[in-house]
Amino acid sequence: MKRNRSSRCRRAFLLTFAALALPACRPTAPPEGTLIVALSSDPGHLNPAITTQGGVHTASALLYDGLIALAETLQPVPALARSWTIEDSGRRYRFHLRTGVRWHDGQPFTSADVKFSFDSVLLRFHARTRASLGAALASVEAPDDSTVEFRFKRPYPLLLQQLTVGEAPMVPRHVFANTDPATNPATRSPIGTGPFQFVSYQPDREIRYAANRDYFGSKPRLGRIVIRILPDPGMQMIALEAGEVDWVFGVPGPDRTRLAANPAIRMVQSSIGAGGSNCVNTLAFNLDRRLFQDLRVRRAVAQAVDRAAFVDRITYGGGRASAKPISSQLEIARADDLSYPAFDTSAAGRLLDSAGWRLNGDGIRVAHNVPGIDNGARLTFGFTHMPPLQPYGDLLRAQLRVVGIDLRLQSLEPAVFADVLFRERAFDTGIISYCNGTDPEIGVRRMYVSSNIAPVPFSNAAGYRNAVVDSLFDAARATLDPDERRRDYRSIQLQVLRDLPYLSLVETVDTRAYRTRCSGFQSGAHFAATARCGP
Amino acid sequence: MNPRYLIRRLGQLVPTVIGIVLVAFVLIHLAPGDPILALAGEHGDSAYYAFMRERFGLDRPLLQQLFTFAGRVLSGDMGVSYVQGRSAMSVIAERIPATLLLMLTSLAISTVFGLLAGIYGGSQSGRSGDFVVTAGTLLLSAVPVFLLGQLAVLGLGFHFRLFPIGGSEVAGSELTGVVAALDVGRHLVLPALILAAAEIAAVARLTRRALATELQTDYVRTARAKGVTAWLVVARHGMRRALLPIVTLIGGRVGHVLGGAVVVEIVFGWPGIGRLLLAATQARDTPVLLGIFLLISATVVGVNLLTDLLYAALDPRIRYR
Repeated sequence: MKRNRSSRCRRAFLLTFAALALPACRPTAPPEGTLIVALSSDPGHLNPAITTQGGVHTASALLYDGLIALAETLQPVPALARSWTIEDSGRRYRFHLRTGVRWHDGQPFTSADVKFSFDSVLLRFHARTRASLGAALASVEAPDDSTVEFRFKRPYPLLLQQLTVGEAPMVPRHVFANTDPATNPATRSPIGTGPFQFVSYQPDREIRYAANRDYFGSKPRLGRIVIRILPDPGMQMIALEAGEVDWVFGVPGPDRTRLAANPAIRMVQSSIGAGGSNCVNTLAFNLDRRLFQDLRVRRAVAQAVDRAAFVDRITYGGGRASAKPISSQLEIARADDLSYPAFDTSAAGRLLDSAGWRLNGDGIRVAHNVPGIDNGARLTFGFTHMPPLQPYGDLLRAQLRVVGIDLRLQSLEPAVFADVLFRERAFDTGIISYCNGTDPEIGVRRMYVSSNIAPVPFSNAAGYRNAVVDSLFDAARATLDPDERRRDYRSIQLQVLRDLPYLSLVETVDTRAYRTRCSGFQSGAHFAATARCGP
Repeated sequence: MNPRYLIRRLGQLVPTVIGIVLVAFVLIHLAPGDPILALAGEHGDSAYYAFMRERFGLDRPLLQQLFTFAGRVLSGDMGVSYVQGRSAMSVIAERIPATLLLMLTSLAISTVFGLLAGIYGGSQSGRSGDFVVTAGTLLLSAVPVFLLGQLAVLGLGFHFRLFPIGGSEVAGSELTGVVAALDVGRHLVLPALILAAAEIAAVARLTRRALATELQTDYVRTARAKGVTAWLVVARHGMRRALLPIVTLIGGRVGHVLGGAVVVEIVFGWPGIGRLLLAATQARDTPVLLGIFLLISATVVGVNLLTDLLYAALDPRIRYR
């Protein structure tokens, strides 16, 4: 077989097609080299189909594929599906799968795996897919081995954004059928179709992958990847600088300047992080509180906050100051002419004066005939945050102090934070990283629609109720027409800018760093699929 | 040793440990923070959270959960880890060797160096050697473990490259046998030394004080008058009695070392129980948390019993009934 191929090559060369034919016939270089990746926490398992936990997805994405992938521009490109058609005004999607794709154990990948992945795993265990897709999906059908059909109860414009490896990784039916996917041993020694295959997993130590030489896409150039669990961010930086790891997912702001001066290290920024993509650190006002039912107070806070200072002093230049409610990275919601009220402390002061909050001798305002609030009560309220966002609280407290507001910081660990903010609603203001995702329907709707004021994390924390906004969101998800959707999202943002239930502060990005002995990284979950590392 | 005493103490050990674990169960459930919220991440809806609660039996009344849990504990089963989907006991068991290695090495280092420093300080009472030991141990016990650890990583690991920066072995290594053991040993040096630092100080200070007191007693003075050499006075007369409180201290420090191991394991990326405890706490992985409490309480109670038994061996005047 080999001899036949090389003889054909020689003939092609003699027939003067050398320039074109030789690269195609040259045997692919075997994958070699090892990439050592630092990960901050042990994922616990390697099955991204049963969780939305960022650590699991970061650690395991290279083992799996989705039906489609998203290009840098967020446009869908083929992955396990080679093509697709949208029929019946968005009520039916038909996917044609690649043929010849095999799972890492050699079994063929077919449409039955796709149907099983959705019906038995994703729609039961994957919180995001279950909550968004599950409500609209009528059925997933597999009419033949290489065709899959998604049938919806109503037009559904989002499906192509929800079939990536992060949103809907495919898992093998022959491994998981008739078992509990959460306790199946394959959850810890996984079998996927991805560019790398599982080798070993030592909890809190390292996870090893080897190149999948039969991968259907671009063949991996690395021989293996070792994911090393290093919980302390400071230690990750030291290990990177000492050459003990090649890649880190997050560089703390204060370390950036030092790493930038190191010629052996390069940094890249990505709006796709472990927790989601296009995340926005957002201040939520609890609208159940009488104080924040006065729009003038919310507007005064908005005008007292200098968002650019957050980018300078907290993210060290990483990310962007938010100008409007929806991330500027979502093309469908672009509205460059809209923006929050400008930073103007004098205007903020005047608004507070008009709301009955007058400056006191110690610089903190007190109530004077404010409805429902005792005269003389100080203008002070809480700011609830998770520990990593403490610097936001410190800066916000300093900025609000200028206009006579006293901010009290309350730091809560993540599990308690979710409980206090979303279930008990026992907060005044809080900062939440709302990841907007690749479409407002995925990551923005949940924070504005009144039906999502629920004891569920990352829901409508403000308790914002506006029937117009609710109906605009419903309209935007019922059509495939991008212009119509753009108009809806623009109208939503206009209304939200009038009501100010939230104040977006910073559109965050993750800074990744790698040693220059390695190269060829790409954005997205398959970040190392085409990477290579020298000696 | 009176066997009846031993049986009685062992009999007390079981209800003590079960009591600790049951109290821990109640405390964990009363503490704020919902395991499902921590586990499920973003974007779920109410139906999803209800499904997950039912799956882990968290939708049942607390008393019912307590009975289920108690039944499991008595049969030696702590349930299934919410995060990892497998037996909590096996999740914990695979971390024990790493923590045991770290703790035993650190206890050995702190005992040996603490005793040596204490004996030196105690025998030099009031002189410059005593001052050095006192000042040094004061400094060691005053510096927080996490700070000492970070300084060690930066100085000895990163700057001088004397030791690896973290972990328990070279990433991706294919080492086996003695070479692999040496590699683990190289990674163990810094965390074990840092974990031992505060313990060295505690053992040294107590040894110094106990020995200095003993060396001023009449029987030691008599021994010296009879011409017994200085080191024999210390070794045979002074230390024999001074050892009693030191054994109590070392036995009692096991719990402290376990606590310190949590911080050291995080700073040095050591893959033991401490890191698992932190992860389980953050994720509210109750079965794993309770399993760790069971393990820690059984260890501390067991070591206390052992300490009591050692007392009798060291001092023939002590009899347990």
